[in-house]
Amino acid sequence: MLNIKNLHAAVEGNAILKGINLNVKAGEVHAIMGPNGSGKSSLASVLAGREAYEVTEGSVEFEGKDLLDMSPEVRAREGVFLAFQYPVEIPGVSNINFLKTAVNEIRAHHGQPPMQAKAFLDMLKQKQKLMEFDANLMNRSLNEGFSGGEKKRNDIFQMAMLEPKLAIMDETDSGLDIDALRVVSAGVNKLRSKDNAFVIITHYQRLLEYIVPDYVHVLYNGRIVKSGTKELALELEEKGYDWLKADIRLEEPVQ
Amino acid sequence: MTTIATNISLYDSLPELFAEQIGGASYPEARKAAFERFQQLGFPTVKTEDWKYTNVIPYLKNGIGIQLPAAPSLSAAQLEATGLLLPDVYRLVLVNGELQPQLSELPPASKVTIRKMSEAAEEAAFQQYFAKSKKLDEHHFAQLNTALFTDGLFIEAKAKTQVEQPIHIIHLYHSTGNLLVQPRHLWVAQPGAEMQIIESVAGLEQSGTVLVNSVVEAVVTERAQLSHYQLQTSGQHSRFINQTLVQQHGKSLYNNYTFTLTEADLVRNNLNVSLDDERTETHLYGFYLAMGNQLVDNHTSVDHRMPNCESNELYRGVMLDKGTGVFNGKIFVHEDAQKTNAFQQNNNMVLSPDANIYTKPQLEIFADDVKCSHGTTIGQVSEDALFYLKARGIGDVTARSMLVKAFAFDITAQVKIPAVRKRVEQLASQYLTAAANN
Amino acid sequence: MSAEQDILQELAGREYEFGFETQIEMDIAPPGLNEETIRFISMKKNEPEWLLEWRLKGYQLFKKLSMPTWQNFELPEVDFQGVSYYAAPKNKVKYESLDEVDPELLRTFEKLGIPLEEQKMLSGVAVDAVFDSISVATTFKKQLNELGIIFCSFGEAVQDHPELVKKYLGTVVPQSDNIYAALNCAVFSDGSFVYIPKGVRCPMELSTYFRINAKNTGQFERTLIIADEGSYVSYLEGCTAPMRDENQLHAAVVELIALDNAEIKYSTVQNWYPGDKDGKGGIYNFVTKRGICKGHHSKISWTQVETGSAITWKYPGVILQGDNSIGEFYSVAVTSKKQVADTGTKMVHIGKNTKSRIISKGISAVHGQNTYRGLVKIGPNASNARNFTQCDSLLIGDRCGAHTFPYIESKNNTAMVEHEATTSKIGEDQVFYLNQRGIDSEQAVNMIVNGYAKEVLNQLPMEFAVEAQKLLSITLEGSVG
Repeated sequence: MLNIKNLHAAVEGNAILKGINLNVKAGEVHAIMGPNGSGKSSLASVLAGREAYEVTEGSVEFEGKDLLDMSPEVRAREGVFLAFQYPVEIPGVSNINFLKTAVNEIRAHHGQPPMQAKAFLDMLKQKQKLMEFDANLMNRSLNEGFSGGEKKRNDIFQMAMLEPKLAIMDETDSGLDIDALRVVSAGVNKLRSKDNAFVIITHYQRLLEYIVPDYVHVLYNGRIVKSGTKELALELEEKGYDWLKADIRLEEPVQ
Repeated sequence: MTTIATNISLYDSLPELFAEQIGGASYPEARKAAFERFQQLGFPTVKTEDWKYTNVIPYLKNGIGIQLPAAPSLSAAQLEATGLLLPDVYRLVLVNGELQPQLSELPPASKVTIRKMSEAAEEAAFQQYFAKSKKLDEHHFAQLNTALFTDGLFIEAKAKTQVEQPIHIIHLYHSTGNLLVQPRHLWVAQPGAEMQIIESVAGLEQSGTVLVNSVVEAVVTERAQLSHYQLQTSGQHSRFINQTLVQQHGKSLYNNYTFTLTEADLVRNNLNVSLDDERTETHLYGFYLAMGNQLVDNHTSVDHRMPNCESNELYRGVMLDKGTGVFNGKIFVHEDAQKTNAFQQNNNMVLSPDANIYTKPQLEIFADDVKCSHGTTIGQVSEDALFYLKARGIGDVTARSMLVKAFAFDITAQVKIPAVRKRVEQLASQYLTAAANN
Repeated sequence: MSAEQDILQELAGREYEFGFETQIEMDIAPPGLNEETIRFISMKKNEPEWLLEWRLKGYQLFKKLSMPTWQNFELPEVDFQGVSYYAAPKNKVKYESLDEVDPELLRTFEKLGIPLEEQKMLSGVAVDAVFDSISVATTFKKQLNELGIIFCSFGEAVQDHPELVKKYLGTVVPQSDNIYAALNCAVFSDGSFVYIPKGVRCPMELSTYFRINAKNTGQFERTLIIADEGSYVSYLEGCTAPMRDENQLHAAVVELIALDNAEIKYSTVQNWYPGDKDGKGGIYNFVTKRGICKGHHSKISWTQVETGSAITWKYPGVILQGDNSIGEFYSVAVTSKKQVADTGTKMVHIGKNTKSRIISKGISAVHGQNTYRGLVKIGPNASNARNFTQCDSLLIGDRCGAHTFPYIESKNNTAMVEHEATTSKIGEDQVFYLNQRGIDSEQAVNMIVNGYAKEVLNQLPMEFAVEAQKLLSITLEGSVG
């Protein structure tokens, strides 16, 4: 589904990603871990098409198409969903109106007619129930005045509504208390299927106890330096990242 | 459009006075140009937007002279009696704008150059910066000052020096009749220098009223820091029109603290800060009290000309008796000044039925990547807070006085020099307590 | 940035949607302003002598007054002698039913989205359509008549209710208020007149669409609304004009009078031709609007959505004379291309316990310049006066400007005034967030702007709010970048 080859990216001329290779197939859950500043969130931003990130080398294919060639909204319509580390507040734009617009834009992209109000509301109710999402939040302005946990839950709720093929979760667990973490994880697990895939970016192993990954990758200094299964996450939790850093420094050419 | 108020004696007598003075005066070229400009501008009237609420014309009417009387010889004891002395400072005493070396304690010449303005012509920094401030030519009174200023202080903190003790300038005014005094100052903090300047003011034995029209040009060059305290604390029979024009170069810091706790009839402060290069920081704090029949007018402007600068302004005022307060704060963000952060807040308490407040916070913004805000309030003591204090057994008068002082002390708490803070808090407290007991 | 820049390039040249011209025979006064012109207008309208005298007095004041100098834009030279001050469709003026109306004219309204026939049946909105000065169709008159409500063209009011017109005309906006108000007094063509009798709550929104059509005709309409004791009325004013290359002057005067316990809600959606992307053409919208809360517990509320005109210059205000009266001002002003808006309000507190509320949302895009200018004045007798002002500016693009000039004057120590203003750029993060959910930048900006303006749009009656949202979108098209 997602095929990242030798991806290099820079912000304001500073290299952030330095040759990422990653292959994600439908039905898989990949966790990307790594210390602060290793490039985890940058990878998410590059995949979603944030403007400040300039791809300097490499390619990203999504479902056989060149992802990097698409504008952010087209990527979203093609089925790439980013759960934001810091979901944005947009005053005056109601959650429900926003969602309806997004759903219909995505449908239009796939040549489908707009959803009728009734069908949309039905879907909304069904997903609210599924995701244990507070209906009161639906009529409020998008994320405005939401608590940190509410914002994250709103993002996951949007994921349920938009039914992406690939969901990239950028430190969704940061700032969540244990109850919110449980609800968010349960939501993600309900959305897992053989047709979609998840890339979960996290700093801690904690989230991976709830959402069990098929693969774990360690990102360090803009590159994936180690890949493994969920046991790798446990090892990292235990030892920290320092032992890896030491290993890598030995391998790395002098700059 | 310029409205010239000409039907006043001072204006009429000025050309003749100027002709008399210009002969032996310093810097004749600058003076002539400024006088021409002043004659175009005239004195401002209430039709001049920046003087809409402050009619100066009545203050200019009664036969005002500009010939300074001889400075009286002043003893150390007399100086002490002004109550203005501060501990741990360098001291520069001026009478009608002229430095009195015998009463002064100068900072070390290795760090700071001090000259009388009339004798500063040879200084490179003087040549570079004198009468060059942006917006100087917009100010009616500043032009008059350039044309006819008598003397003042040139202060230059040398590059990379830290002037440990604040420099305390004591302005004393002396008159034998109605008098216009026009001091002129130029202060330069060279790159990396750090300097604090405190200004105090008092009248000596006076007859008649003194109208002080002063101009300070301050240049804070790269990475330099200047903290500037204006303690407008005394001066019955005085009127003050102050122009403070500040230019900031890259990565510099300028802090201004203006406290108007005076008995002067009229105080008009024009404070203009021009941010001429990137990454500057500016803090402007003001507290003003308008009592009796006073008119206290603070006009400030901050010109963001370059990107990545930050300015922050907080002015508060309390209006008592028949006092009138005016506040006008302008933030101007020029086209190139992206990533500007500019904040301004003006809060007013009106505590008397006959007091007035006119406030106008302005934003003029021509760049888009900016964060700017201003807020203004006019109100009284919070009823909720009052009730809370009363519920704890505090009497009405005391409770009100506590709350008004708290309102003022938010500003005084910004003062970094303990002795200065103590002085302004004492004065504010004294006036406000007196008002509460009336 | 570059992809969005492309959108900008592509869409900046978007044509004015309502730019077409109706071909109807017109009865036009020769261009020029003098006493003869005024007498011609007055005669054409069959006015009584006192009104002619009043016009002539306005003309004398116009000659005496000078142009203001305080505005925050360059005042273009207006050639008052080059304007024709009277243009009326030549055909018969009054219609018994819509069937009699020139079909061409009806099509014009249809293109504007106000099909009279449909509205007559469906919307419950009575429309007094002003087509270049002359009222051509008034619907729902009968139903209003039964309640004693007078809703007619200004010209008709002069003929049928001269005593009311004479009593209130010029009492809120003095003839000498400003040069454009004086000009209006001299040459006003037509406009709307509303009188709501004591205790009557007008059961429907009253609405007028103004439209400037003929070339080089200034529009000088005059609106007078009187809400008698205990009455209520909501009045809607919508404006669109077809595309013109020459600048056209619009100098209207609106006066509102609310007596004891009365309430007037006045909403405007203004969408006159803004000129092209180089600033060529467009309407000069120099309008004087003022209401007086004459009676105690009265209320006047202005809501405006200003999206059109090359220059908008107006300050709908409220004089809060009656004790416990309330004044409100809700405004959204959008400037794009090279548009200029210098607008705001004046709240003059005279009576006791008077309250005012000001919510202003400025949006500047491309080269647009947006100025909020407001006056809150608390008089010495206005005990316990309260004002709250929130004044926000949103910037889209780095060549536009947002300016705020609030004047606050208080002469009463029991007054409480609160003013807040913020200026910021449209959030890139917000746009990206919406992009990431499949919404393109153009639409994302629309959503964000509509959200930002919501507090004001919410004040509009439903059908107007929808139109206003559409207009915001049209105005901002091509401004993303």
